[in-house]
Amino acid sequence: MSTRALEAVLFREAKIRATNWTFIFWDLLYPLGYLLVFGLGMNASLGFTSELTGLDYNAFFLAGVLGMASFGIASNTSWSFFLDRDNGIFYEMLTYPLSRSQYLVGKVLFNVGIALVQALLTVALSALLLGVRLEVRGLPLLVAATVVGTSGWFFFYAIFALRIRRNDTFNAVTSVFYFVFLFASSMFYPLEPLPRAFRFVASLNPITWHVDVLRYATIGVGAPRMIALEAGGFVLFTLVTFWLSVRALERE
Amino acid sequence: MTDTAIAVDHLVKIYRRGKTEEVRAVDDLSFIVRRGSIFGLLGPNGAGKTTTIRILTTLARPSSGRATVLGHDVATHGLDVRKQIGVVIQEQAAELLLTVRDNLLTFARFRGHAGASVRRRAFDVIAQFGLDSVADTKVQDLSGGARRRVQVAKMFMIDVPVIFLDEFSSGMDPILKRSVIDMLREQSAAGRTIVLTTQILTEAEELCDDILIINKGRSIARGDLHHLKTLVDRLYEVTLSFERVPEDIEDNLVGFHPEEVSITHGTLRLKLRDEESRVLELVSVLARRGRLLRIEINGASLEDIFVELMQKSGGRS
Repeated sequence: MSTRALEAVLFREAKIRATNWTFIFWDLLYPLGYLLVFGLGMNASLGFTSELTGLDYNAFFLAGVLGMASFGIASNTSWSFFLDRDNGIFYEMLTYPLSRSQYLVGKVLFNVGIALVQALLTVALSALLLGVRLEVRGLPLLVAATVVGTSGWFFFYAIFALRIRRNDTFNAVTSVFYFVFLFASSMFYPLEPLPRAFRFVASLNPITWHVDVLRYATIGVGAPRMIALEAGGFVLFTLVTFWLSVRALERE
Repeated sequence: MTDTAIAVDHLVKIYRRGKTEEVRAVDDLSFIVRRGSIFGLLGPNGAGKTTTIRILTTLARPSSGRATVLGHDVATHGLDVRKQIGVVIQEQAAELLLTVRDNLLTFARFRGHAGASVRRRAFDVIAQFGLDSVADTKVQDLSGGARRRVQVAKMFMIDVPVIFLDEFSSGMDPILKRSVIDMLREQSAAGRTIVLTTQILTEAEELCDDILIINKGRSIARGDLHHLKTLVDRLYEVTLSFERVPEDIEDNLVGFHPEEVSITHGTLRLKLRDEESRVLELVSVLARRGRLLRIEINGASLEDIFVELMQKSGGRS
């Protein structure tokens, strides 16, 4: 894959995002804000009981917040297809000397960078401000899960952003995705006490796989064999969504 | 090295409308564009010009037939084609959140051009397109015409051998348009192949070495302007400017059956379809009717050719 083409898309994305520092600031700090407001509130008002003894909600929710942030960045990045279409630049870019896959990978690279900075900042500050005890050994896995996770969700959203022509329809679809994917998963609560049917659905949800890997990477919770299976599942999910998003772009 | 820049062979593009209806936007189109030429693709709205350009620039896939750009098949070697082309698409296309200068620099970077030399080139291009005063303004704050200028200016940031311009002059004032036409001629003289579509026929008349007129996705006529003029028989435009047009001058026109007559501010304009000797005879009669300031006799314009060919081919798409 030509690095020149990737570098050009990366440069373009960075140039556009650099025009709005508020947005970058929000991107970097909003998961932490979520953790501080929602996590702290839940912890203080409802307490936290689970089979995961010795764990408070802040520690548990850290991985959920990281997963949610990747999901959110991916959704925002795919929404930019609509902006590019409205500006006409989307179609012009399809005549540039880069392949469709380079276009998609380049587009996600900058946002993967943002997601990485965001994840490392959130993890570090959760330890400093909330006293979350981190698994330092899990750092490489955290980096890998953030990179693959953000990419996988971007490719997933890109399939819909490229096939759906109206941004109001796309917004409706993403709202449904947010509801279904986020709540039917291990993002906000442990799955063990939940009804069997709920647990079954959540176990098929790639958000659960992603968040479980992030949880293992940050606080070391989870069975290694199961985590390996979930990580493999998510990599497969990413490859399939990448292929489908390239196909969708080729049909433009 | 072959002389052919673009080869289109029995190209067909069918769009489906609903479940059953098919629209043949391009219907068995074949043509060749020579390297270094300025090729005009003309036709009314919906004739298939933009669809043809979209196929040649790899934005759409042909339903059947084949097209190559510098030997690369547009359907199977899209990336190789895109490395050779620059495209001004019909829709406005600019990075609205970036400045004019950053638009040019970002565009050049996709061709691997960065650094001081590119910044200098951007400076020159900005001046050529009269964008100096807004060089550091975000494109979202510019008028539609200025945005179009930015879009066309980008083509002068790169050195690709083939450029496609789909209605490039929309939103340009006459002075800038003249300047861009001159720049395009220079580019063509330097060996660049330029393919353009336009609805402004005088523009094509002035610029194109080679013209293809299409309607309903099919070729109607092809050739240089001289050749196309031979397709419209014996059509002449006569203009006579008098110090004062004689009141009964229309009496002299009886028997010549002009297709159009107009008199404005001392100028009589006629469109006649007749033998050349008869046209000269009429001009000689009219010239004796008053103090004459100017005479002009022209053959058919591209607009006349276009209108006549459209009528012959069954009207607009």
